[in-house]
Amino acid sequence: MDIIAKEGGKDSAIDSVIFSTWGGHKFDGRSAEGIEKSQKAEQIPFLPEYFKQNSPLKALIGWDGIVLRDENVNIVGLCNSYMKALSEASCGKCSPCPGGTRAMSKLLDRLCQGKGYKEDLFHLKTIAETVMETSRCGIGKQGPGAILHALDNFWEAFEDAVDNGVKDETDYFSKRTAPCTEACPIHLDIPGYVDHIRQGAFDKSLDLIRSRLPLPGVLGRTCFRPCESNCRRANMDEPIAIKALKRFVADEALKKGRTPPHEMNISEKTGHIAIIGAGPAGLSAAYHLAMRGHKVTMFEMLQEPGGMSAVGIPDYRLPRDVLRYEAQLIRDMGVTINYGVRIGRDVLLTDLERDYDAVFISVGAQDSTPMRVEGENEGYLGYIPGIRYLRGINDGYDPYPEGRRVAVVGGGNVAFDCVRTALRHDKDDVSIIYRRTRDEMPADSMEIHEAEEEGANYHFLTAPVRIVADKHGRVTGLECRKMELGEPDASGRRRPVPVEGSEFIFECDTVVSAIGQRVDLSALVKFEGVETTDWNTIVVDPVTRQSTHPKLFAAGDCELGPDSLITAAAGGLRGALSIDSFINGKPLDYTTEDHFEALMKHLKLYDENETMDQVAKKARESFEVLDVEKRKRSWDEVEKSFTRAEAMAEAKRCLHCYRVATVAV
Amino acid sequence: MIEINGKACSFEKGDTVLDVARANDIDIPTLCHLKDTTPTGACRICLVEADGANNLIASCDTPACEGMKVQTHSERVVAARKGILELLLSSGDHYCLLCESNGDCELQDLSIEYKADGRCLPETGRKSSVEDSDALILRDFSKCIHCGRCVKACNEIQMHDVLSFGHEEGSPKIFAGDNETLRESDCRFCGECVQACPTGALLEKKALGKGKVRDEQKVRTTCPYCGVGCQLWLHVRDDKIVKVTGVDEGLPNKGRTCVKGRFGYDFIYNKDRLTKPLIKQKNGEYKEAEWDETLDLIASKFQTFIEESGADSVAGISCARSINEDNYQMQKLFRTVFRTNNIDHCART
Repeated sequence: MDIIAKEGGKDSAIDSVIFSTWGGHKFDGRSAEGIEKSQKAEQIPFLPEYFKQNSPLKALIGWDGIVLRDENVNIVGLCNSYMKALSEASCGKCSPCPGGTRAMSKLLDRLCQGKGYKEDLFHLKTIAETVMETSRCGIGKQGPGAILHALDNFWEAFEDAVDNGVKDETDYFSKRTAPCTEACPIHLDIPGYVDHIRQGAFDKSLDLIRSRLPLPGVLGRTCFRPCESNCRRANMDEPIAIKALKRFVADEALKKGRTPPHEMNISEKTGHIAIIGAGPAGLSAAYHLAMRGHKVTMFEMLQEPGGMSAVGIPDYRLPRDVLRYEAQLIRDMGVTINYGVRIGRDVLLTDLERDYDAVFISVGAQDSTPMRVEGENEGYLGYIPGIRYLRGINDGYDPYPEGRRVAVVGGGNVAFDCVRTALRHDKDDVSIIYRRTRDEMPADSMEIHEAEEEGANYHFLTAPVRIVADKHGRVTGLECRKMELGEPDASGRRRPVPVEGSEFIFECDTVVSAIGQRVDLSALVKFEGVETTDWNTIVVDPVTRQSTHPKLFAAGDCELGPDSLITAAAGGLRGALSIDSFINGKPLDYTTEDHFEALMKHLKLYDENETMDQVAKKARESFEVLDVEKRKRSWDEVEKSFTRAEAMAEAKRCLHCYRVATVAV
Repeated sequence: MIEINGKACSFEKGDTVLDVARANDIDIPTLCHLKDTTPTGACRICLVEADGANNLIASCDTPACEGMKVQTHSERVVAARKGILELLLSSGDHYCLLCESNGDCELQDLSIEYKADGRCLPETGRKSSVEDSDALILRDFSKCIHCGRCVKACNEIQMHDVLSFGHEEGSPKIFAGDNETLRESDCRFCGECVQACPTGALLEKKALGKGKVRDEQKVRTTCPYCGVGCQLWLHVRDDKIVKVTGVDEGLPNKGRTCVKGRFGYDFIYNKDRLTKPLIKQKNGEYKEAEWDETLDLIASKFQTFIEESGADSVAGISCARSINEDNYQMQKLFRTVFRTNNIDHCART
């Protein structure tokens, strides 16, 4: 997603660069000689032309260098703003970084005021080198590098500042982030909360998470953890166990019976907001709206909170108590949840739109995608769509107890939830049918491994063609066809191609289809003014989450199609901010944070090829996993939480890769 | 085996590079390192150069690995240490002439050793910011280098969980409780933090202005309070105790001591202290007496009581502040000579 309306093409963006040291490649377009010495233009980062609407991005300075695009930007002024942000971001947990960055900031500030000495320029260089050489983490290790680039290449500008100071009318914006934080859809301050754990301040850690995410216990168990695949520690040994640490602090509070405090921040004007669906998006929106003093009423079709995360994720992965507890904390803030209410049947969206100040739609993807095979719509006994299967189990019954041999079609997390659930119902055989190979399976590798341990059989490169039933309409098998891998498709995975004449009957009496989910938008039926897509999602502004109807906002699966819990929670947070602005009569502008989010997508925060020192290697702490013989027959949680000592040791592995960037606009 | 400065050193699993160096008498300076606590790698003074690593590594926080080759005083390492020290010096009010810890300061010693001088750098820390909230400990934040030794001493040695790292006005600060004064916080005034502080940021008020450290004599003794028998150093200047610290290598306390052991020595110099026996007169007043006279009186009274009412009519109480041998003799006397088990002492102060 790029939120900037006007954006030049790649070439025009590079043409506009005057000078760049970004990413370790120097380009100097200030003179013909400089251009000649420069490395290839492809190595200049591609940046959007604008930072905000109508505000061209004139320069960027940060952890990886400098990019200058407007000759009117004063390099000393740019350095000064950046250094101020860097020193404010310095955490103070090692000695050289806070003092060093503050000293540099002071020196630059006095240069800009025209009160500096030429000696200061040498001090700047020495301090920058010391801080980079000796600091413990990312801020100090990388941060001052850009100042050295500036001193090396713009010495005259600094000398000029000594004599004349700097008259600077440029606007600067700064941002502190980290590779993990940026990869996280809701942008949790991961190095921050991990560092609290390192120091044993578990409460502080949880409060920091909860300032953005009200469901740490849920996400600490179920997140697909993009943070961990963007963790620089992986280049040394293994990524930090971020998900497990989040769960640890959530469990710790639950164990101690501590109710986390809510940082209330009441808005000037408050309203009454209806939220449809108490899933992760809805709960997150409710939490952030309630924190701003709004009255929130939620409507949930099921009898309990969590939406698809409650019914779609079995108890051995996410115990229901955890969801109920975290939802209860939100209810304690004054949020009302009406259970068992279906929009369109019990309440009409038009009524909500009329009676409330704003409506937030956060319905999940509750329908299984059809397999489009013969026999699917015949109503055979033993054919069950995956989501219905899981819902049945979660409501406490086996949807088809007669079945003994279960075939689950699909390779995602839902397929594995179905498989592992069926195993716990003591079926004779549980098989997974997947049309590609193990490597292409989208499910979490831990899930694939644990299901295999529990006794699931895998049939790769196999695709269903027809559901076979007897004359009573009972499933007796699944006709399948062998596949082979061809050319990569749009998703980058190699496309499975059928092998002619390889059809065979796979014997089974239960077929569960779990190849995907889709959104049921029947709630919107006959509602005027809301645009929807061909994929059954609601058209919203990708940032503000406002739909084509000004009072209606939407996020989660109904915005994007089936997606992750954390993405839904992030949508809930951003949607709540928009609703708050809407109720206060403020324009729904994109915030600086939104603009930085868009900019960061252009900058490589994590480089999987970065080589790192191997001397201080330490593998990640492992948590206890329930013994396979015990867990096969039990609904107890499979993965256990860290102990305090394990959590602190794991947190200590974090390299604290904070990065700061400043833009001139 | 690892190699430090070319010397082959053996190590055990879990040893840090610093542990190995110290076991082999190889000097690596430290500021934040506090024995028997988890390393933080915060001060960065212990950085060393390791073959195959681009970055310098904190030796206190890096486990020794087979085949490691380490330089503790290479040109690069020495320059880095000097740089850190200069930043530390410019981060506060480190003017030694006016500092109580002059001559007893690890920052001062290292700055001299590494020829560090922070005067040309802009000052970045707090200026003269003293907390004088109680009778025992003075906190001078302008001399704090945020090494965190006090935090470790408080949380990992004494388990009081009072001190922590915090931020105030954009600068790091060591918080007591929720950024309170020591008096307002849950501090028990054990003084372990003062003993751990490498600079003059934490001071014992009773020692202020009592002369120079270099004129000091240290006398080892056993704590006179309870029965644990902590080993203490008495810091004596001009024949007077000015300070008490725990003996690091001494059992059972290994350097720790409590509020009484550390601060409760004033009674020694109290002018009301008894120096001679007193005998109560008929009119209720006490009269100074000589030891012979006193002991004769006690012996005759004891004899009378035992003859009249039996041995259990007398009891012996000795002072826990006296040595074990004296306490032993007291109980022996009462049990074997007077034949009573009525003995006790005051190990409950």
